[in-house]
Amino acid sequence: VPGLALLDHRLLIITGKGGVGKSTISAALGLLGARRGKRVLVCEVNAQERVAPLLGAPASGSSAREVVPGLFTVAVTPRDAMREYGIMVLRFKSIYDAVFENRLVRFFLRAIPSLAELVVLGKILHEVRVEEHGRPRWDLVVLDAPATGHAVQLLRVPAALLDTVPPGPLRRDAQWMRDLLVDPLTTALSIVTLPEEMPVNEAIDLDSAVRDVLGIPRGALVVNAMPEELFSKEERARLGELERDPPPLGPAARAAWLQALRAEQAARSLTRARAALDLPTILVPLLARERWDRAAVEDVAAALAGSV
Amino acid sequence: LGEIRDGLARKRIAVCVGSGGVGKTTLAAAIALQRALEGGRVLVCTIDPARRLANALGLESLGNVEAHVPDHKFREAGLAPRGQLFAMMLDVKRTWDDLVARHAPDRARQERIYKNRIYQQLSSALAGSQEYMAMEKLYELATERDYDLIVLDTPPTTHALDFLEAPDRILDFLGSDTARVLLAPALSAGKLGLKLFHLGSGYVAKTLSRFTGAEVLTDLADFMAGFQGMYEGFKNRASAVRALLAQPEVGFVVVSSASPRSVDEALYFHERLHAESMPIAGVVANRVTLDLWPGGGSLPGPDELAAALAARGASLAGDLGARLARVLAEHEVLARADAREVELLFRSAPGPHAAIPRLESDVHDLAGLAKLAACL
Repeated sequence: VPGLALLDHRLLIITGKGGVGKSTISAALGLLGARRGKRVLVCEVNAQERVAPLLGAPASGSSAREVVPGLFTVAVTPRDAMREYGIMVLRFKSIYDAVFENRLVRFFLRAIPSLAELVVLGKILHEVRVEEHGRPRWDLVVLDAPATGHAVQLLRVPAALLDTVPPGPLRRDAQWMRDLLVDPLTTALSIVTLPEEMPVNEAIDLDSAVRDVLGIPRGALVVNAMPEELFSKEERARLGELERDPPPLGPAARAAWLQALRAEQAARSLTRARAALDLPTILVPLLARERWDRAAVEDVAAALAGSV
Repeated sequence: LGEIRDGLARKRIAVCVGSGGVGKTTLAAAIALQRALEGGRVLVCTIDPARRLANALGLESLGNVEAHVPDHKFREAGLAPRGQLFAMMLDVKRTWDDLVARHAPDRARQERIYKNRIYQQLSSALAGSQEYMAMEKLYELATERDYDLIVLDTPPTTHALDFLEAPDRILDFLGSDTARVLLAPALSAGKLGLKLFHLGSGYVAKTLSRFTGAEVLTDLADFMAGFQGMYEGFKNRASAVRALLAQPEVGFVVVSSASPRSVDEALYFHERLHAESMPIAGVVANRVTLDLWPGGGSLPGPDELAAALAARGASLAGDLGARLARVLAEHEVLARADAREVELLFRSAPGPHAAIPRLESDVHDLAGLAKLAACL
């Protein structure tokens, strides 16, 4: 939507290949949102909680906790989400406990395909639309989604259920979830990638799945860990000759030559990604960090600030 | 990688495990290529939804059947294999369908299952389904084909060892006593679904149907009925897969990058494999930034480097010395971080190890794979 910045959406979905920095980008977006005066919730669906620890706070677990002023995080697991959803549908906790906490019935629920994904997504989308005192509980919800294949599996559940499930409570929920996911004023899905060949290939495949299978409005392509171009072509050639010099020049020339090569390959991958995807690209520079902590996330947030 | 290569020398099956983004797929292909170059008949099988492996092997796309990597691809890369290399990508739905066809007593039953909505979801979208079918396909390939080595790449899972647990989880459901007890009236009534309200205590069924809608339960009852009599076959096969994986001819290769997160996950994988008595063939740290300033002495500053450049007759003036100092310092920060993680990984996960340096270029063809394999 023209004129609508990424952070103006109510739901930002962050996905991409494993290991590209989705959680870091989600945490940085959360920080920026909070800093702009928004009440922000970052939802994680990974086996291990990352966002709160990255920001130097203890893991939040299954109920939202404020880790930085204005920024809350929550880890959504199928089991907890199922319970919340069940109680919401059935109205009474005692009925839920009597029926659903039964070991036998839990088998059953697992057997209903996509129910786990549905309740996890349902819990998150419920947070997006729920209101308190006449206004939304959250100004911004950031979903740190799973990697490519699993993200598509999670996000396609409402549409898949609409195709297969007959009218009933499941279908009703699938319907509002689907409506919310495809609303361009509410939702934007951004793909994170590294400027490398394979991650870019995967980003391109993922983007076509987002368009053709999911139909979720697309936000931006975030290119993470982008090396700076520091050396000219002539300098590079010369550095190659100096690599075998004794220290200090040899190792420094080697480091520089490797950096220049990486920057060149990254630039090529970026060009390819830009040509294949009609998405705005946001570049996050490669940061040399010995540890990934709050300070590193702040640097990433600073790099994102002007583009979101 | 000498250690890893030796660790896999007598194996017939290599399973690469690790978190997403560590280069598992590429490494699986490199292991396969190496054995093919040495004279083996080798298959590499990926279950990755993205087509990374096809990419690295220079094949247009991979399908559910094995494709022979053509000779000219090797020639183009300057390689002369003494064996043969095959590659395939798992098609989860097709593998489910094949499995049902294998166990169904007749064609009618098979069709009835194919048409069931619960089955359609199970075979395409259910979490864990992919992992289950990977194991199923591996078993089929290992028992029915004649490869010297099969290398299996596993999905980029965030749920450690899903591929070991998923079959049990899914079979738990297919064979669960609960389902049988709850659905018994419906099953024995023959006319499925019509008797749904007699399910179990009635109370449970009614509550459940408020949760899911009654028709979902009807579908489920129909599905369970369709599977009646086939469960044993499925269960036996899953046990056989499990038993196969514990054989000494299998070797798990735990792959990690040097990031703290992937090392954490690799250690978790390693611990779980160990606890399950699965044979571990090695631990690989991939894409490690090498230390260019060993000894840890203080790094040269801009002036020192500028002087060294000048002494080499530098037409390279300006701020090059300063840029060199900065890049070397940043390189060393990354190298130190990587070294710390690799040390932790190798110390905590004993066995054959390999640390593969970050290569100068992305691996995207056979020549690149061969280079990677040489590091093993």
